[in-house]
Amino acid sequence: MRKRQRGTTFPVSRRDLIAQGGAAAVAVALAEVLPAQAAGTRFVFANESDYDTVDPHAAFDVGRVAVRLNLYDGLLRWQKNPAVLEPWVAESYVISPDGLSYTFKMRKGVKFHDGSEVKAQDVVYSLDRILAVGKGASSLFKTMIDPGAAKAVDDYTVEFTLRKPSAIFLSVVPEIHIVNRALVQKNEAGGDWGQAWLSKNDAGSGAYKLTQFDPAVGFVAQRFPDHFKGWGTKWLDEIEFRGVKDTNTRVLGLLRDDFQGIGGYLQTDQLNRIKSNGTAQVLEAESMRVMMAQFNMTRAPISDLHVRRAISYAFDYDGFNKDILGGLVERNPTPLPNTIWGVPKDVKGYSFDLDKAKAELAKAQAKIDKPIELAFLTGFQQSEQAAQLLQNGLTKAGVPSKVVGYPWPTIVDKFKDPNTTPDVSIYWISTYYADPHNWVGEMFSSSTAGTFKNAAHYKNPKVDALLDKALSLTDQSERAKLYEEATRIVVDEAAGLWIYNTKWYGPYSNKLKGIVFYPIGSAQEMRTAYYEG
Amino acid sequence: MRTARDIALKLIGDPSAALGLLIIVALVAVAVLAPLIATHPEAVWDMNPRDRLLPPSETYLFGTDRMGADIFSRILFGARITLTIAIVAVGAALMIGVPIGLISGWCGNWLGEALLRVSDIFLAVPQIVLAIAISQTLGPSIENVILALSVTYWPWFTRLVHAEVRALRHETFIEAAIALGVPTWRIVLLHVLPSVLSPIIVRTSIGMGFTILTASALGFLGLGAPPPAPEWGRMISEAREFLPEAWWSALAPGLAIFLVVMGFNLLGDGLRDVLDPRIRRGNPGR
Repeated sequence: MRKRQRGTTFPVSRRDLIAQGGAAAVAVALAEVLPAQAAGTRFVFANESDYDTVDPHAAFDVGRVAVRLNLYDGLLRWQKNPAVLEPWVAESYVISPDGLSYTFKMRKGVKFHDGSEVKAQDVVYSLDRILAVGKGASSLFKTMIDPGAAKAVDDYTVEFTLRKPSAIFLSVVPEIHIVNRALVQKNEAGGDWGQAWLSKNDAGSGAYKLTQFDPAVGFVAQRFPDHFKGWGTKWLDEIEFRGVKDTNTRVLGLLRDDFQGIGGYLQTDQLNRIKSNGTAQVLEAESMRVMMAQFNMTRAPISDLHVRRAISYAFDYDGFNKDILGGLVERNPTPLPNTIWGVPKDVKGYSFDLDKAKAELAKAQAKIDKPIELAFLTGFQQSEQAAQLLQNGLTKAGVPSKVVGYPWPTIVDKFKDPNTTPDVSIYWISTYYADPHNWVGEMFSSSTAGTFKNAAHYKNPKVDALLDKALSLTDQSERAKLYEEATRIVVDEAAGLWIYNTKWYGPYSNKLKGIVFYPIGSAQEMRTAYYEG
Repeated sequence: MRTARDIALKLIGDPSAALGLLIIVALVAVAVLAPLIATHPEAVWDMNPRDRLLPPSETYLFGTDRMGADIFSRILFGARITLTIAIVAVGAALMIGVPIGLISGWCGNWLGEALLRVSDIFLAVPQIVLAIAISQTLGPSIENVILALSVTYWPWFTRLVHAEVRALRHETFIEAAIALGVPTWRIVLLHVLPSVLSPIIVRTSIGMGFTILTASALGFLGLGAPPPAPEWGRMISEAREFLPEAWWSALAPGLAIFLVVMGFNLLGDGLRDVLDPRIRRGNPGR
């Protein structure tokens, strides 16, 4: 101690030291009380995959949905289960009788995080940005609307004019996440629509405001008290979404209360462990999520119909659904979830039959001279095990294959180019809007080729014609027939391998209340959540 | 010089070294005879989801894993992968490390210093971290694990050989050989190398255990042999999700790694006692 005092430039007397020590002790005591109140309630969610960007227009998937739902708002928002479109920043909307023009009246006084008001010009800019950037939901919008076709009639009225009537335009309006035009434009660099900046920063009006983002960890956001929806009496002050690729770390973290919510792509064994533990709960909800394998149709040998059929016969569907997943899920033989309209009920799909697989291989023209690449998503045990099981079946049928794992953002990037797209990729198509177009429509329309919905790069003019027609109609029974027809074609062509349809499972902390599940958000909108007690 | 027979007898006389030797002989036997010993040789590659996560029984000696494959058979076949990785990686490290050590030790000039500094660079980064970086960049496969391990392990041999050669450089018999006009390469290969062989052998044995441990860690992290290869580290990683309920699926590969690494370490220690009198373990009984 003496030695240290001698070293300091300002000698401290003993009395001073005691006084300071006392002050420090008081400060420590206060610090123990105060920050708990100041920091408030904190929620940590462990996601299966990383958050590589916080740009709301860069992704249209479940893996990064938390960014869009918590930091941004749209004109409409899907809420409740079964999902209903609710007016959000828009107060009301009118559709012209010809189905081409949509006019939205917006609320007044909706504030961005920087305090400026959300106006029609911001909506117009946001849609133009989506179309220009060409990521996320842009492949959908491009089929319906041209850049510049959105107009700000006045500060609070925005009008969209479609190229042709669309049955699903309204369903994807929630994906027009409104960004702060002035702020983004200020940060544009070389006509990039502010992509470099917005991938790390926040320009939203959502219930939470971004405070920290690190692609290697995740993002943290603080409650935005001025959010237009207002707040009840209880809320979460800070939310954090983290990418945690290891299943065990996620589950144990939830049980130890390090995480208060984790991604729900779990196996029966894990769900049971969470349920029996007592610190966490598994919420369940009726929903639709189809597990499937996408075939890269652009190169041999997968481009050969018989090879694809052989692969479809080589997967042990029952072994996977009943034994590995313990009957948690239901077999789903087509790209459409069994429970939605538009499913051709007479289509049986493929079964596990190695003799048929070998017979198909004998008919195949393409030579399989190198191992077929079976890609799974790292962090998602189910997809890894499905890949291993498919490999097992293929080996028995005499087809060499290799199993390779990719993180979700990486594989989505690979899908953009047919050359980098894996031969077979195993993952899920969740509900983005409750319409058959969400599955068979987007998975097999040439307009979505290169997105994760159509990683097959599937292009078939006949199917395109059916799907386009289905989109332009409004009568459900008419549309159903067209989707049935399209589904029949793609099943016959074995243009993918469809495994199961499942409910939604949400592992959350017991003390967390107010979580609202709706299929599109996967229960990651934290605005309504709070801790009990 | 002691004969091989002397060394073998001394090794067997030391209980812990004998145990190490026994484990390694057993490992080699298991690896070679895997198809004969395995109770379900077909189940190494064949998955049967209906029998997944069964506890150890007469049919499945070590139980079954999450895909319904027989763990006992997978462990046996995994011994092949483990042994291949260890032998090839340490062999390659020897090939690189020993000549560089000889050169740097013998020359001692700027060249020797430069070579040493290069090995220092490799030693500065922990082996496992460097190996992860390399195999992550190259993609998961056995070949890349072997490459990563050999690239990161050779500096240990260089350091060791360098120090030994430095010490030998001015021994009388070397000076005599130089005075007689024996060519340098002949001195290094025929006089220096045999004299530094003992520590190399000891280091090799310990290095095998170390390499197996690192290879398993890489496998555990998903950087090793891609599935369905029965790689021990990967088996533990896959089993971890079902702990503690299906304890057997992690226990068997864990024990296998433990035993083999211990075997190589015991043997290494024993060899050191026999071959290198300078650093013999303190054991007043002998």
